[in-house]
Amino acid sequence: MKKKRIKKALVIRYLLLTAGMLIMILPMVFMISSSLRPNAMTFAYPPKLIPSLSEITGENYRYVLGNASFFQYMKNTLLVAGTSTLLVAWIASMLAYSISRFQFQGRNLLYRAIIMTMLIPGLAMILPQFELAVRFHLIDNLWGVILFYTAWMIPFSTFLIKGFIDDIPREMDEAIYMDGGSILTVYRMAILPMASPSIAAVSIFNFLFSFEELAWSQTILRSDRLRTIPVALTQFFQAHNRTDWGFVLAMTCLSMIPIVLLYILLQKYFIAGLSSGAVKG
Amino acid sequence: MAESIKRKTKRQDPRLLILLFPGILMMGLFTFYPIIKMFIMSFFDWKIGFNQQSLFVGFQNYRDVFADPIARRSLVNTLYYLILTVPAQIILGLCVALLIVRITRFSVTYRLLYYLPVITSWVVVALLFRYIFSNDGLLNYFLADVIHLTNGSVGWLSSRWPAMTATAFLGIWKGIGWNMVIFLAALQAIPKQYYEAADIDGVNNWQRFRYITLPGIRGTLLFALVMLIIGAFNTYTPIAVMTEGNPAHQTEVVLTWMYTQTFDSLKLGYSAALSFIVTSMNIVIAVFLFRAFKAK
Repeated sequence: MKKKRIKKALVIRYLLLTAGMLIMILPMVFMISSSLRPNAMTFAYPPKLIPSLSEITGENYRYVLGNASFFQYMKNTLLVAGTSTLLVAWIASMLAYSISRFQFQGRNLLYRAIIMTMLIPGLAMILPQFELAVRFHLIDNLWGVILFYTAWMIPFSTFLIKGFIDDIPREMDEAIYMDGGSILTVYRMAILPMASPSIAAVSIFNFLFSFEELAWSQTILRSDRLRTIPVALTQFFQAHNRTDWGFVLAMTCLSMIPIVLLYILLQKYFIAGLSSGAVKG
Repeated sequence: MAESIKRKTKRQDPRLLILLFPGILMMGLFTFYPIIKMFIMSFFDWKIGFNQQSLFVGFQNYRDVFADPIARRSLVNTLYYLILTVPAQIILGLCVALLIVRITRFSVTYRLLYYLPVITSWVVVALLFRYIFSNDGLLNYFLADVIHLTNGSVGWLSSRWPAMTATAFLGIWKGIGWNMVIFLAALQAIPKQYYEAADIDGVNNWQRFRYITLPGIRGTLLFALVMLIIGAFNTYTPIAVMTEGNPAHQTEVVLTWMYTQTFDSLKLGYSAALSFIVTSMNIVIAVFLFRAFKAK
């Protein structure tokens, strides 16, 4: 009797989960299927969730690859996202290690400043940051995007990695000091390998952020050959009278390929990712 | 032995500077300095360009912000978006987590698919939702011709509240997966013995949730609340892409309006004041939440 009830509850669970999941992926399915229909058909009424076989065409994809410098945009985006993610992983892990392990003058002030910056909307500082970018000749320069992304991502990354390092026992540190190692040796030999799960998790988020950021890159990057994907997408959308959905959706689908590949390859890190910092609160 | 190590780590090792320097340089230059600069600018009629004098105007920029109907509307829109998206994301994300935590088969598949919107770029999903919410779009078709709830097409993106609600739908849909993942981790961290003891005492499902689950996820709840509220204030891309603030600035949120005022109207002091107002609201809410949760 009880067993039966448990089984029934489990079935309800699966039904609810499946229904919810269908709603979640429905927009994505619609995006892919619309990108495969002829551009002229994308506003045909009624809209179709699944295109008929005879309709399916690669025309939109051919148009995007032929008319927009898609690969150049993708190269810029990957360069920006990759470089800033690596820079943050390096800088934030050193900061987190210093704050977690050592007492130095201004340590608490620094940590509090880091927490405070996490609470400030990144875009709120866009004006003085723009002035800085002008002064350092970073306008229309990929470094202008990379350096500012790096600075924006350091606080949260430091916060999460520090939480993780706090829980790493100090025995390894001590063993290295006994062997005459310095604090830099400890960072390289003990902290980096042991904190790597948290660094990997944070890096995934940083990569996603710098892959999709729009406001700052549209401010800094002016010339077409330097555009990142988010900027290129909005420009492409506006340049096509905001109506050529077949082309636009083909471009959005193409733009997601690197992220989806990463997601499939690194799924464990994506999901396990933020949990470490989140549970501690 | 322990003493010598302690001394070593406590001593001001000059090598510490090597570890600290890049981070302090980056944040000092690109974050701390701009924050202070922004605060100062908010008291000036700020000009960029050579030979242009910036005039000190006291609180005039702040008065301008509060007197500006669009700025006020953008604040209200931001709060509307916040109130719609934050609780809905937390509740739905928690529900999915509660459902997933007790199943074994396909658990990973569900997680991966629920998480898919989280990894998708904001620009991509905002464009996609603009298409779905358009006049002849999928949603109107569904509402009118499939379930016959509406008559003809609703102009979702052509007036203020429907458009804000549409962007809120986007925010909720995109955020559920993130909430699911962090709440799932929190649920899995609650010791099983608590539930076993509760089963022996014969408590019902609601009591289990109220007295074991809820206290167990408090820390995560606070984390999610703070992150989502900051996120809601930070909303730029969904509005900039889905509505572009249209029609006639009806759907501006604080950051889109600030961006327009900065780069299109060059009202720099004004937008510095607006930025500072949002920043303060953020900090006040976050500090309040931390206090409220710590007090218990």
